[in-house]
Amino acid sequence: MSAIVTIQDVVKEYNLGATVVQALRGVSLTVDKGEFISIAGPSGSGKTTLLNLIGCVDTATRGRVEVAGKNTAELSERELTDLRLNTIGFIFQSFNLVSVLTVFQNVEFPLLLQNKLNAKERKARVEALLEQVGLLTHQKHRPNELSGGQRQRVAIARALVTDPLIVLADEPTANLDSETGQAILDLMKSLNQQKGTTFIFSTHDHRVMRYANAVVRLADGKVLGRESPEDAVAHAMGLETPKHAEVRTP
Amino acid sequence: MDRVVLLVRMAIRNLLASPINLLIGGLILFGTLVFVILGGLLDSLNQSMQRSVVGSLAGHIQIYSSASKDELTLYGQMGSDPDLKAITDFPRIEEALSKVENVKMVVPMGVSGALITSGNIVDTTLEKLRDLYKARDGKPSPPKLAALPRDELDRRIVSETSHMRQIIKVLRGDAEKAMTDMLNGTAVDPYNLEALRRVEHDEFWADFEKDPYANLEFLENRIAPIVTDTSMVFLRYVGTDLDKFEQSFDRMRVIKGTPVPRGHRGFLIADLIHEEQMKLKTARRLDKIKDARANGRLIATDDELKRFVKENRLQTRELVLQLDGIKTQALTKSLQDALGSKETAIGPLLSELMTTTDENFDQRYQQFYGLVVPQVQLYRVNVGDMLTIKAFTKSGYIQNVNVKVYGTFAFTGLEKSPLAGSTSLMDLMSFRDLYGYLTADKAEELKEIQKQTGAKTISRENAEDELFGEGAEVVAEATAGVIDPDTAMSGAGRKLREEDLVRRVYTEHEFNDGVVLNAALMLNDPTRLDETLARISKLSDEQNLGIKAISWQKASGLLGQIINVFRALLFVAVAIIFFIAMVIINNAMMMATIQRTQVIGTMRAIGAQRGLILSMVLVESMVLGLLFGGLGMLAGSGVLGAIAAKGIAAPNDVMYFFFSGPRLIPHVTGAPLIIALVIILFVTVFSTLLPAVMATRISPLRAMQADE
Repeated sequence: MSAIVTIQDVVKEYNLGATVVQALRGVSLTVDKGEFISIAGPSGSGKTTLLNLIGCVDTATRGRVEVAGKNTAELSERELTDLRLNTIGFIFQSFNLVSVLTVFQNVEFPLLLQNKLNAKERKARVEALLEQVGLLTHQKHRPNELSGGQRQRVAIARALVTDPLIVLADEPTANLDSETGQAILDLMKSLNQQKGTTFIFSTHDHRVMRYANAVVRLADGKVLGRESPEDAVAHAMGLETPKHAEVRTP
Repeated sequence: MDRVVLLVRMAIRNLLASPINLLIGGLILFGTLVFVILGGLLDSLNQSMQRSVVGSLAGHIQIYSSASKDELTLYGQMGSDPDLKAITDFPRIEEALSKVENVKMVVPMGVSGALITSGNIVDTTLEKLRDLYKARDGKPSPPKLAALPRDELDRRIVSETSHMRQIIKVLRGDAEKAMTDMLNGTAVDPYNLEALRRVEHDEFWADFEKDPYANLEFLENRIAPIVTDTSMVFLRYVGTDLDKFEQSFDRMRVIKGTPVPRGHRGFLIADLIHEEQMKLKTARRLDKIKDARANGRLIATDDELKRFVKENRLQTRELVLQLDGIKTQALTKSLQDALGSKETAIGPLLSELMTTTDENFDQRYQQFYGLVVPQVQLYRVNVGDMLTIKAFTKSGYIQNVNVKVYGTFAFTGLEKSPLAGSTSLMDLMSFRDLYGYLTADKAEELKEIQKQTGAKTISRENAEDELFGEGAEVVAEATAGVIDPDTAMSGAGRKLREEDLVRRVYTEHEFNDGVVLNAALMLNDPTRLDETLARISKLSDEQNLGIKAISWQKASGLLGQIINVFRALLFVAVAIIFFIAMVIINNAMMMATIQRTQVIGTMRAIGAQRGLILSMVLVESMVLGLLFGGLGMLAGSGVLGAIAAKGIAAPNDVMYFFFSGPRLIPHVTGAPLIIALVIILFVTVFSTLLPAVMATRISPLRAMQADE
């Protein structure tokens, strides 16, 4: 398996007035194609910052971030935007759908930005994805007419419509009840298995970690280790570290 | 394309989402509505005024000497005429201008004004009497009278004498009234009173025949000056080639009389002046009451009409003064019959006739025109009269010109407009005479005098030699002239020359060959006015014509600027409305951008470039502007259309000129719509620029941070 994301010794600092806050302190991480990986850790551990760097919406203060073979530090603002459009799909904690567009239009939006397909092809693509997420009959609805789970499914369809290499999901189930959250994770997992799309999602919920192939645990801006979901859950629940813990450091 | 559709769709949905957009839209709609309606009205007004100005006097372009002190203003400026330098080589200029493409006709002109006076009623009555006596005594007199039999002359003398006595009676009445009014500060000259007393007595008239000429002289010297109502009318006139004028200004039509025959000297009075200032005041007031009643006004309720009736009732003096004995008798009788009155004095009878109400007006109007008018002179100047015009020449001395009135004229649609109807027309020859320029006739006359007197022209350099040098011929012995007063001084000789001038026919060359002050140019295609102006300026420079060409708008002076002033006011008003809209749009879009930070951040995160965000915000306000602006344009055009269906009636006579007729029919013109569109686009884009740029600065990070 080849690496789709490579992060080496990345430091991310924020200036808060006179003080400099280090959100990430020398993080290194490799994600392979087709992985369904979870980034876990308590609030303020740097999960979102790490996702931002992988999602090319932010750049590292130091260190190297390589996404789909491209060093993000060397890309212009415009090129970063193109990289996001063509390589990465985003799923947000609070869904972030455009409220004035219908379900169909929300999903179609990235395709319009890409400007590669004609209207007919776009329609076919959007409808196929809506069918997969089970919302074909809701395509004319506006986001505010949907439940939270339905909205997140629309967001998943939108993230996948461009056939991205990586899908980033920031706490995708945080705003959902556990049942709906489970359904969303099932959906993501099945899409990962069908299409081989790499999924990277952050969570602090041990129930969610269980779905991952591997869990990268973060604390205080540092990677504590890359573990199996079971170990990670045990860690999260304050249990002893299992013996087969695997820490991979480059 | 699909992206644009999406942006527009998003814009519409975003707009509907916020009520403040309705307020902004309402402002834009209102501003556009005002602009389209008022802009359309002003455009229509401008066009109708152009028709008025161009069609009544100015033509499309006016030219005048570039060496003039003042700028040409056809309607005068601050009451005085501009000081224009005369164009002396008009034929050359005309020829050059006629060759300019798009120039249809060149009409030579000169605008000026003069007071004309018609002698007072005592003067004219006395002149009539004198002529009658002369005819009776076989002295030189007008041919018409000389041919009358003796008994007819006697009858007329009696009638005129009684007319004179009637006038004296009226004057005596005035004097007595003045005496009783003395407390009010009106004084009566005892010298005048004494004269009046003398001529009032039967004694004076019994002895009148003994020495009629001496008695006439007494009346002329002592009584005539007491009458102060010498009528003076200020006439503004254009000296022009009347034939060309008629051809070029096709709205001109002759109302009374005939056009001046081709190539003749002659005068055409503006019909409005003829009606307003030369008609009997009583008759004019009756006409006005009739007009007003036809427009639904009533004497019973209208203050102005009430005033007219009162003035007509009280001011019968003007009528009585005109009546001689025979006429007084005839009119008294017919008025007694018509009114069923037993009153024997003519004054009270006329007062009774003039006591008009809404019920009896039509009948009284007919009685006035049927019974009174045939006995009096309805107009002070009639078609066929010889008009004596006195004017100051350029060099400051007074020049008299006699010119025959052939008729009156008006411009179709502008009959009631004081602006278009205040300028009369005169032939160029008479104009040049009045203005003190050498005309063909004058030159001929001078030559004749030179020949008769043996005078010769000497140059300034040789003057001394010629006058005082040896063998000087120039100085001759002066001999006392013998003047025959009957032939040289009084009318007969002058009349002959007058008649000769009236009959004389001039060629076009003669009309052209002399000074003119300005000229009107008619164009084939008026829309190419600016281009033609430029071409004429160039031509003037190239051929050294020394002329300046200006548009009708400039030539009409302040009048032409009125529309521009209104337009400026409109722009200021609309600018204020749109400025307010701009401020509100700016604020609203700022707020909207802040509120949509997460959405915009999300869009950026999933791959929207900054340009798309910029266009999203701009499209949104442009859609707002175009949507409501479009509605405003539609509504404005609708309102204009509705107004056009009926037209706007001219509220007063002055507006006739601006409306180019009794009604203004506005039409939707392209210009205000296009300007409105440009303004809307500018306002919306400009006011959204800052929020739009701000929106592009929103980081995709905001998508992630929003709800943390």
